Amino acid sequence: MAVKGANSSEKIISREFKEYVRDPNPDPGLDEAIKYLTPEKIEKAVNSVIGNITARIKAVMDTCIHCGLCSEACQWYLSNDKDPTYAPVAKMRMTMWELMKRDGKVDAEFIKQCARIVFTECNICHRCSMYCPYGLDITFIIGLVRRICFLLAVIPQRQIDQAEAHMATLNQVWLSQNDWIDSVQWQEEEVGADYKDLQIPIDKEGAEVMWLPLGAEPKTGPYHIERTAKIMMVAGVNWTVPGRDTWDSSSMSMFVRDFVTMQRIVRGLYDNAARLRIKTMMLTE
Amino acid sequence: MDFFKDPTLYNLVRGPFVYLAFIVFIGGSIYRIKTFLDLVKKDKTIMPFISLKSALRSILHWAIPFYTVNWRRRPVVTIVTFLFHICLVFTPIFLLSHNILWRESWGISWWSLPEWIADIMTLIVIFSCVFFFLRRVFAPEVKFVTFDSDYLILLLSLMPFLTGFLAYHQMLLPHKTMVIIHILFGELMLIAIPFTRLFHMFYFFLTRTFMGSQFAHWGTRDW
Repeated sequence: MAVKGANSSEKIISREFKEYVRDPNPDPGLDEAIKYLTPEKIEKAVNSVIGNITARIKAVMDTCIHCGLCSEACQWYLSNDKDPTYAPVAKMRMTMWELMKRDGKVDAEFIKQCARIVFTECNICHRCSMYCPYGLDITFIIGLVRRICFLLAVIPQRQIDQAEAHMATLNQVWLSQNDWIDSVQWQEEEVGADYKDLQIPIDKEGAEVMWLPLGAEPKTGPYHIERTAKIMMVAGVNWTVPGRDTWDSSSMSMFVRDFVTMQRIVRGLYDNAARLRIKTMMLTE
Repeated sequence: MDFFKDPTLYNLVRGPFVYLAFIVFIGGSIYRIKTFLDLVKKDKTIMPFISLKSALRSILHWAIPFYTVNWRRRPVVTIVTFLFHICLVFTPIFLLSHNILWRESWGISWWSLPEWIADIMTLIVIFSCVFFFLRRVFAPEVKFVTFDSDYLILLLSLMPFLTGFLAYHQMLLPHKTMVIIHILFGELMLIAIPFTRLFHMFYFFLTRTFMGSQFAHWGTRDW
């Protein structure tokens, strides 16, 4: 909740930007992680991301005329009483512009501030691009700062926890491949009691459609799997689920800019599709 | 160029400096666009998504006042912005005084604005600059991201029009002096375009092409 001053008398005021005033928000993902940072690590991470200025970066940095028209697009700005430090351009100013101005020579506290801004005060929804007269990709810049924070392992704990699930198991709910198959077969049993000959094909080669569930469904919403099975049966769809990773098309890895895992997820989906020679991938998420 | 026969300050700014200003402006702009497009081609994930139809749609929607949602949400900013840019571009091109200079130098001329309309257009530019200045000082979301350079380019845009108006109406300073100052500011502004954020006049078409295509790829409009 972004109601400032309601309960706590203690506020965090940015050293660099006096208008940036927030309630303290302890998060081990940030507070503990910055203890491992050194100026060299920070500079190296920043240079690896923006050392080479690409067209997309240049387009935003050179064209932004500092007009502030993106502000009213942003739900963070609007729901925080139009606090100017929540405006999209302000978020860029406090993170990327400062990193560029200082050539990456910033300290751990500054990285923590960047992480707080780009992970918890922006959700990369692209509304600002819809309101910007130039259509600048501000979220791209936010994403680059997220990448820098990811390389330095400074990420809100909840977000890195979820990304770690993808890193370790290629799905968001820490299911092993056995757990996934078990869930599918359990749901087939459940619904098979009501419908004769209903099957949930696993790894059926040559099927038309490969169905992929919502990431959380096998763990916390398994009944969706049996409902899908009923629909597919009545609709007469020649379908299958993959029997091995990747069966979860969601990607918390994308939110933290974990490029390697993002790639593994997408490759896993296409590998399954190619292996099973299916025509259509049906993604729930 | 009379300057080499009669080396006065007026002939300097009226002759060699004009060449300099236009060469830097046109050459610099072409160079900057070319190097930017080279960078675009290097990033292999951009060109495959560019769609001419979506780019044109995007440019059209943002080049017409009140067509997109954000233009409609900010009616005052929209009106001032469009009037400012239209008057900024067309006043120097169709001003009678400038037309006379073109005819003196190159024997070419074209249609001119009636003087009273040109006056109004110049005043629109001047008052718009004041409006933008006030925005930068008093609107919190603008103030937070305003730097000295923003005030500078605003001043640089204002001065040719202010000094031109004063020169024509022979106010404040002797006419020839004011004209020399006016020409200098005009040349300064032209030279500054490829080197500052004033270059947004060209970037607009490129960034809109990108975002229009990007949103079309996602199956929607960029508003």
